[in-house]
Amino acid sequence: MHLSNSILTWIAAILTIGIFSFLWKDNPFYKFCEHLFVGVSVGYSISLTWYNAVYPDLFNPLFLQPFSAVSLGRKLLLVIPLILGLCYFCRFIPKVSWLIRFPMAFVLGWASGVAIPAYFQTNILKQMQGTFLTPGIFSRWDVLLWAIISFIGVICSVFYFFFSKEHKGALKVASETGIVFLMVGFGASFGYTVMARMSLLIGRFQFILGDWLGVIK
Amino acid sequence: MKFFQYLLKIDRRIIYIVMGILVMLPLIKPLGLGVTSGPRATALFDAIDALPAGKTILISVDFDPSSMPELYPMLAGVMRHAFAKDLKVLLCGLWVTGVGLADKAVTEIPPEYGKKYGEDVVYLGWKAGVDAVILGMGENIKNVFPADYQGHPLDSLPMMREVQRLRDIPIAFAISAGTPGYQDWLLFAQSRYGMKVGAGLTAVSAADAYPYLQSGQLTGLLAGMKGGAEYEVMVQKKGYSRAYMPAVAAMDSQSLAHVVIMILVIVGNIAYFATRKRGA
Amino acid sequence: MKRSIPLAICLVMGVAMMIQFFIPHPISVGFYDLTTKWIRIVGAFALVLGTGSLILYHVDKLQRRRQGWYYSIVTLVAAAATAVIGLGWGVKTGSPLQDVIFSNLLVPLNASMFAILAFYMASAAYRAFRARTREAALLLVAAFIVMLGMVPVGRAIWGKLPELAEWVLSVPNMAAKRAILFGIALGAIATSLKVILGIERGWLGGGKQ
Repeated sequence: MHLSNSILTWIAAILTIGIFSFLWKDNPFYKFCEHLFVGVSVGYSISLTWYNAVYPDLFNPLFLQPFSAVSLGRKLLLVIPLILGLCYFCRFIPKVSWLIRFPMAFVLGWASGVAIPAYFQTNILKQMQGTFLTPGIFSRWDVLLWAIISFIGVICSVFYFFFSKEHKGALKVASETGIVFLMVGFGASFGYTVMARMSLLIGRFQFILGDWLGVIK
Repeated sequence: MKFFQYLLKIDRRIIYIVMGILVMLPLIKPLGLGVTSGPRATALFDAIDALPAGKTILISVDFDPSSMPELYPMLAGVMRHAFAKDLKVLLCGLWVTGVGLADKAVTEIPPEYGKKYGEDVVYLGWKAGVDAVILGMGENIKNVFPADYQGHPLDSLPMMREVQRLRDIPIAFAISAGTPGYQDWLLFAQSRYGMKVGAGLTAVSAADAYPYLQSGQLTGLLAGMKGGAEYEVMVQKKGYSRAYMPAVAAMDSQSLAHVVIMILVIVGNIAYFATRKRGA
Repeated sequence: MKRSIPLAICLVMGVAMMIQFFIPHPISVGFYDLTTKWIRIVGAFALVLGTGSLILYHVDKLQRRRQGWYYSIVTLVAAAATAVIGLGWGVKTGSPLQDVIFSNLLVPLNASMFAILAFYMASAAYRAFRARTREAALLLVAAFIVMLGMVPVGRAIWGKLPELAEWVLSVPNMAAKRAILFGIALGAIATSLKVILGIERGWLGGGKQ
């Protein structure tokens, strides 16, 4: 065992143990670590937002760059997003809090307009193509069989979510077949979720046993 | 009967302790089970391996420290692969808390291959806006990132003279812990600019990516820590790297952890049904 | 006016961006470039808004001496100190923000928060995961196949287990997830259209204004 002689590694290890202490019981040390995490995250986001977004995209070209580098026209165009962005802070002034609707309208309208063709192409057209027109499905008998099973699975699972009509007769058969596929899908997701959570724990143990205690490489 | 009732009421902290010990043990004393690569990881590896020297790949670092054990090995593995093949690497990110992780990778990995910042690797940093960032990069990367993360104007970086927009990049590898992530690259970079996209995901979201794999929208998938381990093994087998493989080292623990969870579920069900039968 | 102008902005932007997708003309591309730049700037202000809301919450908690108010001091001091260090010394490689705060505070805290979920999952799997119905049993079986097949021990137990797990993921799981994807995509498109056309107005907020 070779204990780390870096004070920063010790701080990291103590904070890790502080968070893990919640497993035994809620305690002041855990609460301290939790609130420290929130505070540090906020401060980190503020710093990066300024240096990566606000300063290079707005503050620098609008206020610091000379007209020879950024023309008056381009500077005036930057005033519009500045005003829209400042309207967000009207949320904290009750009398003019309605002004927040302007930047929200701009962002929501833009995002909705951009999303519609993108979602249609990526999540509907291409997915339908994959369901019906998979290249090479006739190359082998098993590939064809799995393609047919997938096709039935997609159709039946879609029918399960169709609630405009009572699930009777053929719709009931399709819906119950869909449930089988959905349960297998959720089981697969659960299996993968177990892997994900365990991985995170193993990562922390690798830090504690490796970087801090020096028990493993 | 009393035994099963005791089993059902066992203190959860005993489960925690048992879990903790059994996950720690294989890290100290490995079981030596080995790792073999699956078809999804191999597809991504082959896609990058087939690129000619001098081409640029884009890596989007869309995760934070909470997903580091699963996703950082993928980032390191793909970067090592790219540098060994003399490919150039352009990094960016959609998560603000991923900046430090990308910065760490750009600092530690290129020197292993004698690669220089600005010539072989550039880190653009993070910008707010997700779809606006991807769509903006599609037209002109400099419009979105006039300077890189360190503040160097992109025009001053030799690597960026050949890479102006997303169409100049043959493949993007999106390493995602959730949203925003690979789906945004598919929605905006692939639908509008026809960009090839590979994905490295936390295991939680991996099962949801299979429709995109089947339709050919995703070129390969690395799923969770296992995916990272598979990539590390492939990179080592081809002689591209001899670095320590943290994901491979964790696989024995992962295996034992899964077996423990299965046993817990089975024992819990046996105890439940045994007490229910007696009760009925 | 306080409602109709924002609704009009939303409609114009939504329709413009939908149409722009299909028009490669330089004017259209120029408009697209301009609006994406504006969105990135406005998006950054939205992040600051979220941060401001959090800070106001903790300041309020401190002022009113609500339960646990002393922990709010920790949050506010940590946020202020980190912001001062970041804004003052920069965010580049080698800065105190990255080398000290990110690597030795943010990483262990963030990673540990999620690592303890593994224990909760083990406890939940033991206490709550019951195969009471056929569907639940089916879910369990699929989970076991994937759990074992995706790790090295699966291959050690049975050489074909990884292939079986891959089949479960590629065929029935893929079919189910695709159906869910269709539903999500149609829902997203419907909601986007409702927002653009002003049918969905929840974002305007309440009140007579």
